[in-house]
Amino acid sequence: MHEKVMIMTQSSLLPFVLLSPLVGSVVLLFVPSWRVRTIKSIALCTSVITFLASLFLWVFFNSSLSKFQFMYTFDWLPLSNIQCTLGIDGISLFFVLLTTFLTPICILTGWMSVTKYVREYTIAFLVMESLTIAVFCMLDLLLFYVFFESVLIPMFVIIGVWGSRERKIRAAYQFFIYTLFGSVLMLLAILLIYFQAGTTDLHILLATEFSERRQILLWLAFFASFAVKVPMVPVHIWLPEAHVEAPTAGSVVLAGIMLKLGTYGFLRFSIPMFPEATLYFTPLIYTMSVIGVMYASLTTVRQIDMKKIIAYSSVAHMAFVTLGLFSLNVQGIEGALLLMLSHGLVSGALFLCVGVLYDRHKTRLVKYYGGCVHTMPVFAVLFLFFTMGNISLPGTSSFIGEFLVLLGVFQSNTFITVLAATGMVLGGAYSLWLYNRVVFGTFKPSYLSTFSDVNRREFFVFLPFVVGVLWMGLYPEVFLDPMHASVSTIVQHGKFS
Amino acid sequence: MTSQFLQLFENDLLALLPEVFLITSAIILLMYGVIWSTSQAHGYPILITNVGWLSLFVLSVAGLLVLHNPITTMVVLYNSLVVDQFSTLLKVVVLLSAFCSICISFEYFADERINAFEYIVLLLLSTCSMLLMVSSYDLISMYLAIEFQSLCFYVIAASKRTSEFSTEAGLKYFVLGAFSSGILLFGCSLLYGFTGVTNFEDLAKIFTGYAELPMLTSSGILIALIFLAVGFLFKITAAPFHMWAPDVYEGAPTCVTAFFAITPKVAVLGMFLRLFFSSFYDLMGPWQKIIVLCSLASMIVGALGAISQTKIKRLLAYSSIGHVGYLLIGFACGSVEGVQALLLYLIIYVIMTVNMFSAVLSLRTQGEGLRVKYLSDLSGLSRSNPILAFTLTMTLFSMAGIPPLAGFCSKFYVFFAALGSSMYVLAVVGVLTSVLSCFYYIRLVKVMYFETPHVWVSYAPMDKEKAVLLGLTLFFTMFFFVYPSPLFLLTHEIALSICL
Repeated sequence: MHEKVMIMTQSSLLPFVLLSPLVGSVVLLFVPSWRVRTIKSIALCTSVITFLASLFLWVFFNSSLSKFQFMYTFDWLPLSNIQCTLGIDGISLFFVLLTTFLTPICILTGWMSVTKYVREYTIAFLVMESLTIAVFCMLDLLLFYVFFESVLIPMFVIIGVWGSRERKIRAAYQFFIYTLFGSVLMLLAILLIYFQAGTTDLHILLATEFSERRQILLWLAFFASFAVKVPMVPVHIWLPEAHVEAPTAGSVVLAGIMLKLGTYGFLRFSIPMFPEATLYFTPLIYTMSVIGVMYASLTTVRQIDMKKIIAYSSVAHMAFVTLGLFSLNVQGIEGALLLMLSHGLVSGALFLCVGVLYDRHKTRLVKYYGGCVHTMPVFAVLFLFFTMGNISLPGTSSFIGEFLVLLGVFQSNTFITVLAATGMVLGGAYSLWLYNRVVFGTFKPSYLSTFSDVNRREFFVFLPFVVGVLWMGLYPEVFLDPMHASVSTIVQHGKFS
Repeated sequence: MTSQFLQLFENDLLALLPEVFLITSAIILLMYGVIWSTSQAHGYPILITNVGWLSLFVLSVAGLLVLHNPITTMVVLYNSLVVDQFSTLLKVVVLLSAFCSICISFEYFADERINAFEYIVLLLLSTCSMLLMVSSYDLISMYLAIEFQSLCFYVIAASKRTSEFSTEAGLKYFVLGAFSSGILLFGCSLLYGFTGVTNFEDLAKIFTGYAELPMLTSSGILIALIFLAVGFLFKITAAPFHMWAPDVYEGAPTCVTAFFAITPKVAVLGMFLRLFFSSFYDLMGPWQKIIVLCSLASMIVGALGAISQTKIKRLLAYSSIGHVGYLLIGFACGSVEGVQALLLYLIIYVIMTVNMFSAVLSLRTQGEGLRVKYLSDLSGLSRSNPILAFTLTMTLFSMAGIPPLAGFCSKFYVFFAALGSSMYVLAVVGVLTSVLSCFYYIRLVKVMYFETPHVWVSYAPMDKEKAVLLGLTLFFTMFFFVYPSPLFLLTHEIALSICL
């Protein structure tokens, strides 16, 4: 009896996590829009409940299994073997957690600064949360594509409506068209796969053999889509634009979750489904990633907008991630996964830091800032902490990630490792430069006239990030342990080692 | 004698009961309207709303008759008409879309002070002609049904006599429509001349295995086929023959445009689907090429033509040309999946267009009652009418084919069918043009959400009928994805019935 109840709760846990934000947003529709306080509370409660429920996923997760857990199947399209199958393994577990972790923070971030369309703001974030969770636990290729794309609509609206300047329209456009152009080819690829395998169920596709020529074609089509989302260097232009124009919470979501969609796609689909093509294209990915690391880091040094600096540093970090993924050994992939999580925390927190400054002074240009340490000491400490996280100081989460990535890549290509390691130096350069300019130096009273340190709400928004970064940096085993079985399966499945 | 006659046609009358009912009620409504509107005793009442409501009743009864017809499969009236599952489905769709398009135009009549109940009667008659088109089973009955429909359309396109645009639209539509009918008729006569039969089934018998006998392939038949296809493509505004559509869409009164955009495509596509799939199945080589070319052209014209438009109705015209391109992909596949994709697309297209046009029709300013004409007039809609703006946004995203809305499901299935029958070029071009067309759909969203208007406009509240329709169609558009299987199964069954 007890066991039955356990199984029942386990199988309905994932749909609950997936649907509760949606339910919350439907409830919000019926709250009149002038009751701002109620709206915010409902949204926050929903997202916190979702987060707590998703923690149970972690608790009940069996790390010794590499198969998908918490499976839930719903017959979606009859006659065509397309079923809506949900499930998570060690790879997707933490992405779901990251999503549910960041959403309450986004809602809290907009607590005071969002004053127009509050209801729509919260609804957009909740809907986005549902959609991204669906992406991370969908085990059907076609439906994965559907949710992968559908995130565009809420994000487009978030950038366009709550963005800060006139340029936001351009940014929203660029974001939308870039991502769409990238991903439509994937739709055709999915259909081709369907015609060969007769299904889009991931389990069956992993067991399907594609001919080498077809693998290359399909891999490229998937690559077009994922590379834009990652973003890899020639197609990264949308990212700085979108980041700079998005509202603070929008940037947090963009950096924390949206960038992970592409790399998650690589790991979930490209690598295990097309192993030969993956080996064939590994040099390409290595080259693009190394160029990405160096180019983005160097570009970061000459930016004057704080958000752009962090956006470009995201590009550099994501290039590290792809490098790790395509090292095709357990260390590299696990490092990449850890780096994704850590980047979700660190760059999210850095965007929040910029948001704190922007809320007070309404500018993001570095040259107006200086001497913050005199007026905002707590902020200076937090900012320092996350800057150190960004340059992967040992003890922070990014260090473990980057270290494992370099370890992984070193086993397959030393030269690339050497080049990639320059990224760590350059990362230190731009991060410290930014920190120096903003926090130290003389402060500029002619530009900034009012001061206030982080308030209690902001402090509590930052706190979970600090805990997460330190925890992951000092005791990564908790995070690596559930991943291990799944990652090893991928490596063995592709016969990469 | 009389009883024998009745016995002979008993089943025919039963099978055609919806059409008979529709014609009879149209005549009764006409008489009612003529007598009462010229009645001095009642002060020459304006009857358009009254007749409109009655016509809604008539249409729903006709729909019930179609659905509950005791005869589900039969060839009637000396092999000139057919009733089967395919025609039943399409008839229901035609009646529903006619119902919706009358529903959304009540307020327009009242507002524009159109005092012509004949308009409604003509709509009923054209609906009836479309029912006949869907079930026509002979070249002659096909042509007659088309002409019946076109004549009604010429009149209603020019129905707003005080407007220059409307008259011009009517004239243009008449000239080009008559021209295309001429081409179609020439195709029919060539076909008759070369084969000696006009019945679809007889044609099918003649052409079975025709392609395998190259010495028999007559160029006359090919020419006839081309003429038929061109006439058909004219009627559904496929790309090289689309030139009239933007002008007519723009010039005609908006409620007429709504009717044009929503209803006739269903009937025309259905009829030609039957003709090409049942009669010319073995001649697929030639006609497939034509359809493929037109489909490519329509998608490209639809995507590129709409980019620089500034007027809403013209934009919608180009968008509908683009959608025709996607529909033709399904047609060109020549497989069961293709037909299924076409039917699915058709149904979802009708629903999205109803939504779109009810939104456009409801946008008129408070006071002067000026209607929205330019895209830029919509700016600030998200603040003045947030729910309407949201509805419109969702429909636009759906038309652009962004998942997880209904429009995506239809497009996805079209591409599915195209790849299934190795139409790689069609699929790739379709996918790329669908991204291109996103540009202008999103531009509307941009205008509504991100732009601040120079002049704030307050819109008059919309009436209940439109609100209900908007709500229902929005619900469908947003949540079709959650449970698509009923419609998939239904269209699959119908596609099987026409292909096998």
